[in-house]
Amino acid sequence: MSHHSHTWPRTDSRIHWISCHFCDTPHRVDLINEGQAAHCRTCGQVIYRNRRSSLTKAVAFGLTAVFLIVLMNLFPFISMDAFGNKSTVSVPGAVASLWQSGGLPIAAAICVFVIGLPSLMVCALLYLCLPLMFGMAFPLAIPVTRWFLALQPWAMVEVFFLGAIISLLKLVKLADVDLGVGFWAVMALMICLAGAVGGIDRVELWDRIELALEKRKSR
Amino acid sequence: MQQGMASCHTCLRLTKASEHVCPRCGAALHVRKEQSIEKTIAFGIAGILAFIPANLLPIMVVTHLGVDERSTIIGGVATFWDMHAYPVAVIIFIASVMIPLLKFIAIGTLVAAAKGKLVIDARRANTIYWLTELVGRWSMVDVFVVAILVGLIRMGNLMTINPGGAALAFGLMVILTMLSAHSFDPRLIWDRLRENQLNEPS
Repeated sequence: MSHHSHTWPRTDSRIHWISCHFCDTPHRVDLINEGQAAHCRTCGQVIYRNRRSSLTKAVAFGLTAVFLIVLMNLFPFISMDAFGNKSTVSVPGAVASLWQSGGLPIAAAICVFVIGLPSLMVCALLYLCLPLMFGMAFPLAIPVTRWFLALQPWAMVEVFFLGAIISLLKLVKLADVDLGVGFWAVMALMICLAGAVGGIDRVELWDRIELALEKRKSR
Repeated sequence: MQQGMASCHTCLRLTKASEHVCPRCGAALHVRKEQSIEKTIAFGIAGILAFIPANLLPIMVVTHLGVDERSTIIGGVATFWDMHAYPVAVIIFIASVMIPLLKFIAIGTLVAAAKGKLVIDARRANTIYWLTELVGRWSMVDVFVVAILVGLIRMGNLMTINPGGAALAFGLMVILTMLSAHSFDPRLIWDRLRENQLNEPS
């Protein structure tokens, strides 16, 4: 007999109304079962979803992502051999190399969009979701959630991966190319980030945090 | 909104518009995004300005046996096309040329609709807005290609690659258009629609 809840827990003391961020139609937030989505009755856009086993997924993918970020930073991304000239680049190595060759803004772009923000986002997600699995919230959960949501559009691991594929296609005619551990780490990281970040809806995240904070206050 | 309620941008909760901060998440509360149209237009124009050097300047400079070879984005597309690498040529063309251009058109259309200069179906406007927000980041792919090639190809006197001015312009253009799309408030189009429905004698 499973006591698994199919909706997410939330506080009873508040009135749960949100409005569609496309057309501003107000909606009462009805609890929906896992796998379902609520659509706006005016414009049809999805206003919130209940993702399957969202917290477990966020934590599992998040922890894997931490490991992959370490791999991405330590191991070679692509190695090539052109007429006996061997060279290897890792993701931070590319940043260093750009820095030296006057490509400071591009170095900064990789630092921020591929290394920095994705790392911050994963840390924030784990900071929020690990305690939420036990119905608790760490200090500063509210600003962390706000920052986590604001950063989302600016993490570009998947775009970087497409860039790597295009680079490879440019290089294969020039040289023998080898893919390093860093390359596979970026590919897996792209999948994990999508699973972790896309795994939990923001309405659910806020409802769970609100409940955890309310419980803490009443204790 | 009509009933004097405001929806939080961050957690979506509805609160009385007279509150200035969302009681749940602490974000500043506005009925509509502040100066949405002005910001959208300003970032959009800045983006168009950056798009010009992004296409005219070289995106990378390949120094091969002491000879500099400059290539622009369009030049890169043409090279792949000549190599019969059609899918790559098409991907680069779509990400670097088509998406930015379509994004400018999309943002222009949304702004015109929000200001009432253009009538489009509000649901279609939603889709345009959603797509614009979704695809914008993919244009950054060119900047990353340059970064990887510069990082990798350091073969002493034989061949080196340096980033060109277009790489910076392009990166700026992507950031500016993302900010432009992000500043837009699709609810303005629905406001316009509701206003028109009220005025129509029926």
